[in-house]
Amino acid sequence: MQRYWFGDITDDGECRPLSRDPEELIERCRSLEPDMKTFVPFSPEKVIGCSGYTTREEYTGVLRKVCISLAREKITEYYSAGDLELIQMVRMLNELDHVINLLVERGMEWYIVRNPDFSRKYKNMNQKKVIGMMRRQKRTGLSSIAAEIDALSDKRTRLMKEISARAADVAPNCSEIVGGLVAARLISSAGGLRELAFLPASAIQVTGAESALFTHLKGGTPSPKHGIIFQHRRVHNADRAVRGKVARVVAGKLGIAARIDYFRGEVDPEFLEKAQERIDFVFAGGEVE
Amino acid sequence: MIRIGNVIVSEGKGGVYGEKMLRGYRVWDPYRSKFAALAKINDETDLEEGWDVLYLGAANGTTVSHFADYVRTVYAVEFAPRPMQDLIEVSERRKNIVPIMADATRPGEYAAFVTEVDMIYQDVAQPDQAGIAISNLPFLKSGGLLVLMLKTRSVDVCETPESVFEESKAILESAGLKIDFSCWLKPYHKDHGCIVCRKP
Repeated sequence: MQRYWFGDITDDGECRPLSRDPEELIERCRSLEPDMKTFVPFSPEKVIGCSGYTTREEYTGVLRKVCISLAREKITEYYSAGDLELIQMVRMLNELDHVINLLVERGMEWYIVRNPDFSRKYKNMNQKKVIGMMRRQKRTGLSSIAAEIDALSDKRTRLMKEISARAADVAPNCSEIVGGLVAARLISSAGGLRELAFLPASAIQVTGAESALFTHLKGGTPSPKHGIIFQHRRVHNADRAVRGKVARVVAGKLGIAARIDYFRGEVDPEFLEKAQERIDFVFAGGEVE
Repeated sequence: MIRIGNVIVSEGKGGVYGEKMLRGYRVWDPYRSKFAALAKINDETDLEEGWDVLYLGAANGTTVSHFADYVRTVYAVEFAPRPMQDLIEVSERRKNIVPIMADATRPGEYAAFVTEVDMIYQDVAQPDQAGIAISNLPFLKSGGLLVLMLKTRSVDVCETPESVFEESKAILESAGLKIDFSCWLKPYHKDHGCIVCRKP
């Protein structure tokens, strides 16, 4: 028997169209997945006569209704996952960083024209100080723009905290190992918690270092040791000699943590303790057997 | 295909995605749509009025909307939710588009909704593009066309586009298809090949 969206056709060629109620058809179609080995596609010549519809337009019309409803259902289901908003938050954070940097750079150029003796080059000035300096250019456009940049920086900080909190919720084990922000960045770069959980540890280790990885794959340059996970203190604070090892161990533990997060969704203190111990051991120069 | 001078157009109500209009026809931009690029390169390219088409990798539905102007039915398969939202929007305006949210690598997911078709058009960013085309062949009538827009960079970034192109052609031929025409979509699309085959 061949099963189609509108009904069945028996092996003797008898047509058995079902109800025409879209609701009932949708219910049937949710679980309709014929085996391609034995599947025979429905012939367009049989549409009229077999499906119970009198015109081709009518057939397509009901089919469209069913397919659109099914697609809408799937889209809603997709957006209901918790990691999607997290991904958007991370991407917004990256965008904010980018914009703030651009604005500060441009403001600096403007500031220098107004103050020809100023040079930032050999001064140790962080962004906060630079913005403050621009704000003191009273009654100029520069000052009011600097105030906006300042406000934007505050919003960025708030977003960052929000991301950490959300990551602890979505991926508690990963957040525990590398901190909420790095965990969130990894999820964003993988495209979702599920995607991260299905990545091999070696891929987690170098996500975020794609350009270095592909130059390595194409030509003889050395492979990158770490991508996003470099931002974790245990990786960037490690001795050069063991940094690659630490990165590998952290990535390995992250791979397991992501799977616990995706499939179980709760904190596993026993695993975390062992993982932390392992990372600290390698960090301190311990040999990996 | 309908051509005005050397511009490829399609009939139908405009304003679907901001396309230009020319004497009441919708302009089909070869830099945006790979099928229009193919029609520019090969004059023989055609879409016939009575055709049913299975379109794999429908994306936002810009090319799909032009297809729908020419043929009877377009079964538009797309996997990603974001473009699917746009595709549903497009199909609200074209009564002969059936949008299906499913994975082109798993034909079973949408087999129950698709009739036998006269043409399969595939434009997906996946590694095994020739394999996907072959697994969809049961839907194609004998004598039907398979138009594969090969994104060589999705198959393997480390291989040269040329070797990916040759390899894909060999895979299709070994599945019993006859290659009618193949070309690069230069200068409209970079590193994109096009293979038109026929099911015996």
